[in-house]
Amino acid sequence: MPTFDFMTLLWWGLPFAAAPVIIHLINLLRHRVVRWPAMEFLLASQRKYRTRILLKQLLLLLLRILAIVGLALLFAQPRWDKNLGGVLGGNRTRHVVLLDDSYSMGEVFGTGDSSDLPATTAMSRGRKMVERLIEELAATPGQQDFSLGRLSRLQRTFSGDSDNTAGAATDEQLFDIYVEAVTPQNLDSVRTDVQKIRTSATTTEIVPGLRNIAPLFAGDDGSGVLWLITDLRSNDWRASEDIADVLKPLADTGIEIHIVDTATTESDTEFLKNLPRSNLTVERIEMIGGTPVSNVLLPWEVTVRNYSSSPSRQVSLTIREDRLERPGVQIDSIPAGDIATVRFESRFQNTGSHTVEVELPVDRLPRDNRRTAAVEAVDEAEVLLITTSDRKNLEDDAFYLATALNPGATAATGLRPRIEQPRALTTLELNDFDSIWLLDVPPLDTRAIRPLEDYARNGGGVVFFVGPKTDYKSINEFLFRNGQGIFPVPLAGAVDLLKDQQNPNAPDIVAEEHPIVAILSGRRNPFLDAVGVDRYMAVDRSFQAPAGTGLRRLLSLRNKAFFAVEKPFGEGMGVAFLSTAAPTWNNWARNNPSWVVVMLELERHLARLQREQDAVLVGQPITITLQQGIDQVDVDFILPPDERVVQEVASIDPNGNLATAMKDTYEPGTYKARWQTVSGARRELVTAVNINPIEGNLERVSLSELPDSLPGIPFLYDRANDLEPRDESRGGTSLVRPLLLILFIVLVCEQILGYAVSYHRTSKRT
Amino acid sequence: MNSRVTPASKQYLPPEVLARIGRLDLRAQAVVEGVLAGMHKSPYKGNSVEFLQHREYTRGDDLRRVDWKVWGRQDRFYVKEYENETNLRLFLLVDGSASMDYIPPRFDQAPGLTKYDYAATLAASLAWLGLSQGDAVGASVFDEQIRTNVPPRTNRSHLNSLIAGFEKPRQRHNSDFHAVLRNLAENLPRRGLVIIFSDLFGDRDALCKGLQILRQRGHDVAICHILDDDEIDFPFDGPTRFEGLEAGGEISCNPRALRDGYIEAMEKFLAEVRNRSAASQCDYQLTRTSQAVDKTLVNFLSRRSRTRGRS
Repeated sequence: MPTFDFMTLLWWGLPFAAAPVIIHLINLLRHRVVRWPAMEFLLASQRKYRTRILLKQLLLLLLRILAIVGLALLFAQPRWDKNLGGVLGGNRTRHVVLLDDSYSMGEVFGTGDSSDLPATTAMSRGRKMVERLIEELAATPGQQDFSLGRLSRLQRTFSGDSDNTAGAATDEQLFDIYVEAVTPQNLDSVRTDVQKIRTSATTTEIVPGLRNIAPLFAGDDGSGVLWLITDLRSNDWRASEDIADVLKPLADTGIEIHIVDTATTESDTEFLKNLPRSNLTVERIEMIGGTPVSNVLLPWEVTVRNYSSSPSRQVSLTIREDRLERPGVQIDSIPAGDIATVRFESRFQNTGSHTVEVELPVDRLPRDNRRTAAVEAVDEAEVLLITTSDRKNLEDDAFYLATALNPGATAATGLRPRIEQPRALTTLELNDFDSIWLLDVPPLDTRAIRPLEDYARNGGGVVFFVGPKTDYKSINEFLFRNGQGIFPVPLAGAVDLLKDQQNPNAPDIVAEEHPIVAILSGRRNPFLDAVGVDRYMAVDRSFQAPAGTGLRRLLSLRNKAFFAVEKPFGEGMGVAFLSTAAPTWNNWARNNPSWVVVMLELERHLARLQREQDAVLVGQPITITLQQGIDQVDVDFILPPDERVVQEVASIDPNGNLATAMKDTYEPGTYKARWQTVSGARRELVTAVNINPIEGNLERVSLSELPDSLPGIPFLYDRANDLEPRDESRGGTSLVRPLLLILFIVLVCEQILGYAVSYHRTSKRT
Repeated sequence: MNSRVTPASKQYLPPEVLARIGRLDLRAQAVVEGVLAGMHKSPYKGNSVEFLQHREYTRGDDLRRVDWKVWGRQDRFYVKEYENETNLRLFLLVDGSASMDYIPPRFDQAPGLTKYDYAATLAASLAWLGLSQGDAVGASVFDEQIRTNVPPRTNRSHLNSLIAGFEKPRQRHNSDFHAVLRNLAENLPRRGLVIIFSDLFGDRDALCKGLQILRQRGHDVAICHILDDDEIDFPFDGPTRFEGLEAGGEISCNPRALRDGYIEAMEKFLAEVRNRSAASQCDYQLTRTSQAVDKTLVNFLSRRSRTRGRS
């Protein structure tokens, strides 16, 4: 059953088929009159040729009518609908548009400076494509169902983040726009809805969206068209096998698949020359120190990635502290496809929530140029030191460690060591501490081990120093537990570090490849060389570090034995120094600056684990854990960018904690959570939500790779900036080409016949 | 030309045409009967200035022709016979039927002569030529019958009468050659040269019969077949409605579609007319109205000279 994409044009064009007849009639009225003497011969000729001429003229008239009808049909874009429903009159086509709204769709094309070359984005191209599509659907006969879903929305529904789960969501809830039939009457309304669509700040995936809409085509039996409007980033297309798996059943049922490319740049080269071609992304902003303490210089690191094939030079970074601009920093060069890290320092005068924001100059993808970090500055950070030594003993492990962590007023670190007995592990709220250090403690009972491991599992860092009081068997049994415990390695007992007879000047400690000791590695360090180790706790010789546990050496002895080693545990970390902190088995802590450096770096490293846990990406929930009995359950979330207030009520989660979460974190920025304690004190927690920097990689799937990535799946490739959907794009088989051929033949026949009946003027009279 | 010629008559007798015709002789055929002396030799003997021979007087001879000098010397009656230079009796028969009024629709050119205009011009030229050398010239304009008849005269002032006859308003009916030619043959008292100026659109059998009657009466007949270029070449294109000037009916058509059939019919017509003229021993000449009148006259006179030389 033939259908037409532009039925209106057909209705307008068909009346013109009468034109040849009308012209013929007009010619009858307007023809020249000649009073002719030799009628006898003219009549004779007419009698002879009358039938032939009449047939030829009728045929010519018919051909001309056919030519006009064919032209009108061509304008109307006919297609043959294979669907039986079309034959029966129930011509219904379902158009489902999957619109990639990841923030890479905000890529800018054109400078915008030139009036004739306005700036546009991949998303605006996609919107225009959709607008054009609905206009054509409105002009197409039959019922044209139209649904548009943003990938971010469908992904949310698929992952269950939405209020409705995938199974329960109705079609209307699933899509941003759901129209039973696009008609001229509702066209403006649909167009307005389309124009409202903007890029999200999310990194979207195609597969969840496809899986969500696949059931929609069930039972359509080839009368559906799927439009996947995307910028074809390599990141999105890595899962092409999964995409193919979802598309294959659709293609097998006859669903027409269109992949609409919104980010083609071939034609944009000319007017992109004034823009930096590379895209720079602020990949990371992090306070590299430990717990942020007010009035202490806090070191920050910013990592910028250059996603281009050429290096970027003299990249200026704007820095804002609590939204106030401060002197920025500059990166001299960022290699192509690589990162560059630059450090700066900040100091917060007051305790409480603070934000630090870094912004790059404008480039072709503005959304990834800014990144924010939120810190909660405190007066000081408590570090728990567990020891069994007498507090009055000034030469024990706790003394040297406390001195390293808090050297004094002239070198403020903001850390406040708190020295406690092992039983404090069961009585104190361990989460209040930046890190926990166990200094040559005797065997712990399970009541103490459980909170300690919970602390580490939730992101805390636990450091063990061994010594004479350490029972290695107990450690192996309760803390190592065949690799299940927090202690990184099994111990085999204390041994002396024998002198190296062949190389007596060799340093006892060797720094490994690790950020904590990075400052000491790479060349011979006189401070580290000065460390002498007499005795240490040997690791069980049979121990082989299992792959995937993350076990990593910080320091080794010259005999290749472990000296300091870490192992991730849950969200946190367990670190073991296989010697004493005090200069009992070694002399490291005695007048050696490297001792202070390494201990402070280790503390920052462990404290950072907790902060990393707090780093929230767009779309991830912000969880606020309250103190039962202290905090009230009502929490107000203030959402960016318009300071919208959302009220949530905290409840007991499966872990038994009083917590609430904000799931609507789809806009980057600083989210504030405010609540009150039972006593009426106001509390506020600021969380920075940032975009996933991986979307800043604008690398695209090449057109030659695209068919290979979707083997056996027929699809049509369209360019959104062409704005013209192809002839074959609206269901059924296009009849344009066959019609064009027929029209060509008709016109050739018309010319031949017209010449044969001598309707063409002779150039010269005979 | 004398001053009595009206301005309208100049249309038929342009001076340049007269100048060229004046250098040629119009020679009638040997059998044409004439009464005026001229350049034409007559087979009949009679009063003349050129003595031919004596013969004995017989009863009934005119006593004025007796040569009294011979009688005085020989006492016998002889009458003188002279070579008699007779006048050519030229009769111009112009077709005035409706078909002769065809006006070519050549919008990009100045209006040309209709066939009738052309025929009248040609006839008047011949009349002037004939009168200037003393021939008796008469003329008729006819359609289905003779509408205007100017009897043959020899005086030069007769030319005005002839021209007036050509200019007389016509009724533009269809041609009836048989009736007209028969009538003409009956009313022409002497033999002479009859020149028919016509497009010959009509009944060819009737034409043939009429020619035969003329020939039976001893007339020398010449046909000047005048056709417009359009009628021969049929150059029309574009939607056209042809309305018959003489024959009834009309055709709305694309002329290019009918051209081949028309040309074929026209050629067949011309061949038939030519053949039938030859069969009736009539001179036949096809003339296009696009051809200059003087040239047509020259051709006609040259042709007549050759014909006379052969006879």
